Formats: sequence, structure tokens, C-alpha cells
Amino acid sequence: MRYVVLIAYEPGHYDGTDEAVRQEYFDAHHAFERYVDEHGKRLDSAALSDADLATTIRRDADGADVVTDGPFVELTEQLGGYYDVELPDLDRAIAAARLLPKAYTLEIRPVVGVEGYESA
Amino acid sequence: MTAEADAALAAVVREQWGRLTSLLLAQFRRLDLVEDALGDAVESAARRWSRDGVPDNPPAWLHTAARRRVLDRLRAEAMAQRKVPLLVVEQSGREEAAVRVDTGDLVEDDLLRLVLMCTHPALDPAAASALALRLVLGVSTHDIARLFLVPEPTMAARLTRAKKKIVSVGIPFAVPSADVLPERLGAVAQTAYLAFTAGYAPGSGPDAVRTGLAGEAIRLVRVVLRLRPDEPVLVALLALMLLQHSRRDARVDEAGRIVLLPDQDRSRWHRDEVVEAVRLLRSPSLTGPITVQAAGYAVQARIAVEHATAPTAEATEWDRIVAHYDDLVALTPTPSARLARAVAVAEARGPHEGLAAMAGLDEELSHSHRLPAVRAELLTRAGDVEGADAAYALAIERCGNDAERALLRERRAALHDAPH
Repeated sequence: MRYVVLIAYEPGHYDGTDEAVRQEYFDAHHAFERYVDEHGKRLDSAALSDADLATTIRRDADGADVVTDGPFVELTEQLGGYYDVELPDLDRAIAAARLLPKAYTLEIRPVVGVEGYESA
Repeated sequence: MTAEADAALAAVVREQWGRLTSLLLAQFRRLDLVEDALGDAVESAARRWSRDGVPDNPPAWLHTAARRRVLDRLRAEAMAQRKVPLLVVEQSGREEAAVRVDTGDLVEDDLLRLVLMCTHPALDPAAASALALRLVLGVSTHDIARLFLVPEPTMAARLTRAKKKIVSVGIPFAVPSADVLPERLGAVAQTAYLAFTAGYAPGSGPDAVRTGLAGEAIRLVRVVLRLRPDEPVLVALLALMLLQHSRRDARVDEAGRIVLLPDQDRSRWHRDEVVEAVRLLRSPSLTGPITVQAAGYAVQARIAVEHATAPTAEATEWDRIVAHYDDLVALTPTPSARLARAVAVAEARGPHEGLAAMAGLDEELSHSHRLPAVRAELLTRAGDVEGADAAYALAIERCGNDAERALLRERRAALHDAPH
């Protein structure tokens, strides 16, 4: 199955951390990646900028595009990155996600095919 | 003949439903088809067995009939070229097991896989317990709806949604790795206890049906405990459930009113269940290091044992109960545990000490009817009729259960009748 693991974190958590803490983060990500390699496949991943650099486009009632500063929703936690992976089942996906740094909250979503759609 | 066939069918459904479901799931990986196919097989057994007699091997008969149904459906789908997502089934372990041991053990492993799948933490807890009753115990959707006090279509939709989530998100039909298994068995216990408490302490509605739910929850724990006999969390939970359940015939009178513990007819408690619970609590599996969850069940069970083994209400060893509550509050300092401790303190050391032990609970239990009900009772004992009356009024206002509200009204009325 193909899953996307969404990473949420509290802004500022990582900023100004020392070398040792950064190494802990890197080790945790490496552990996740090794687990995925062992049980499935890494497809894609990215770390995102802080949400203060986000730009949101909404469609108002008349269908006009409204471009604003900031993320979808202001929350204490914000989306910080994702992994797109292939793993046999949800238990493996949970086991992998649990290896990521303890400061994260993680959301796992299966990737679905949209019936009838073919990419251009 | 018909009666014999009916009894045989009811027995095999009750005893073998989970095994048959798990066997068919492992074979066909189709959560959406297996349950219907088995239901159809039971229907046709109801007709055929009363006409032709009960077969020599009733579960095998049902398995064959259900298997045929699934194959029919698969053939129809192949014709229509439908593609349906399959349940993720753990393959490696199954093949090894098939080579290594006889089929009996293999089926037992599949039953554990089924229980773990139904109680997966990624499912909504209420849906998970309903699903476990349906797939593991074979309780009908109609009966599950009655037990959870929702309309049957609502329950059917809830079960369908849960099954759909299992397949779409890839919850596997598998036993997880050893490091995760204990927490997953903890989730099994939590699911069963959720169903049990829904039956034992009804929010509203009639009582007799709800006792049935508590009974089914116990059956679920027994099924899993047979597969994992020394699992501390299951041992402690079964003990706790048995002790609470043993009082079912004494807790409501003929008119449907709740009878409080001290007023219950102790001869109506189920002694065999108390004895079994006491034996479970002596199990060596509870002496080693255990999880907070298991310890919590064990301490609550030890409190219940004190009540269950006291010859009369007056002879209850309240000091020992307070000591157990101290343990419980140390383990899980929840407001309800602290309130229950305050009740025990009042019994052991008098109403004033009990009232003092309730300090600080009002904010945390601002919607509970139990808090003012307890306070009213203790104020009554302390001779403060006015304070008790006000507390009863608040408790009645907050209470959502018919039987409990009737009891509170009665107590409040008695306040003014009694000479003081």
C-alpha cells in the first residue's frame, strides 16, 4: 500500500537547537528511512518551510481567487513535511512513523487512485 | 427435530462464528463478502438441518456453505470485471505455521488476528467494540444495535464504515511484532471494557438488555484469554468484569429501581463468578511488572473483591478499600477515582472526612450527577438537611438515567420525612 506520512510540529521547536539535538532528529529520520527501505520503498519526501512563509489561495462565494498571507488554518501545530512511502500495511506504516522524532505529531493517509483520472 | 436443529445451530454460531469468519477471511481476504456469506450459510442451515437432520460436523457444514457463497460472488464479480480491494493478510507467518503445526493452532492464530484487526486503535472505539461483537462473537447487527441503544440502520452503517476503513487503510489481518503486541492486547481490553461499561452503567434506558452487553463483553475477553492465557491485562480485566457482573441480579429490584450496594441481597450475587475472579487475581501473571492499564484493572478488581467477600455490608473492610483506592489514585489520578476514594474514606472515617476528601473535585466534575449525589448522601449523614437537599436538587438536574434519577428523588423525599 502507498501511504503519505504527514509531519506536524510546533513552530520554533527545532530553531536554535544545538548540535546534539539536531543529531537526534537526523538519527530518527534515518531510522524511519531504514525501516521503510527494509519493509517497502521510499517514493518521495520533503521538509516544508515554516507556515509564516505560506501563501493561501481561497475561492470566495463568487468564485474569485483570494490570495492571502499564511497557511490554511492557524493551529498550534503546523505541517512541516511529508514522506510518501510504500509499505505492506498500516501496522508497518505506524511502526515506521513511530521512529520519527518525538516532537512530531504524525498523520498517516493511504494514497488513493482517482477513478477515471489519468494524469496529463 | 426442529428444536434440536435450532439448538445445534445456535450453539455452533455462538461457539464457532469467530473461527469461521477468520478462516474465510484468511482464505478470501474479502471482509465485505465473508460476513454476508456466513449469514446466508446460517440461514440455509436453519432450513436444511431441521429437514435433513444436524450434520456430523456442523462448523464444517457452515464453512463449506459459506465458502460456496463467496465463490459464487467472486465468479459473478469476475464476469462483471469488478476490481475490489482486498484485506491485507499476513502471509509469511501463516505459511510457516501451516507447515509447522496442525490446522487447529493455525485457526487459533487466525482468530487472534481477527480480534486484533477488529480492535485496531485506528478504528473508532465504539465501532471497534461493535465490530468485535459482530465478527468475533457472531452477535447479530440487530442485537448489537439494541445493546448499544441505536437504530439498526445506524449500527449497520457504523459496522460497514469500520469494515471499509480496515480494507482501505490497510489494517492487516495479522499478529503484530512482539514489541507492539502487548499494547495491542491493551487495546483489545479497552475495547471490551468499553462495551462492558456501556452495559453495566447505562446512561439511559432499560437494564435487562444492557446486562446482555456486559455478558458479551466478558465472552470477548474469555475468547482472547484462551488464546493468550497469561496476558496480565486480560487476566485483571476479566476479574474486574466478573466481580461487577456477579451483582447483576441484585442491583435492580422488581420495579426496575436501582438497589445500592449496601442494600443488595448478597445471596443473589453469583458466587461462582466471585470465586473465579479471586482465583484470577492470584494468577502469577499479575505479580511481575505489568502495565499501568493492567494494574488499574487489578486494583479496581481488588476493591470489588473486598465488597464481594464481605459477609454483610456492615462487615466491609473499609480501611483496606481506602488503601486500594490510594493505590488507584496513585496509578490513575482521575476525578472519578478520587470521588470513589472519598466515598470509601467516608465509610471508613465518617462523613466529614469524606466531604473533605472531595475538595477540588467540583471543577473537574462540573457535569457529573454523581458528585452532588455523593455529597448529598454525606451531608445527610452529617446532619446537614438543607445542604443535602440542595445537593440532591443539583444531582437530579444533571442525571440522565431514569432509574438513577428515580432513586435520587426517593432519597431527597426521605430527607424531609425522616425525624431530625
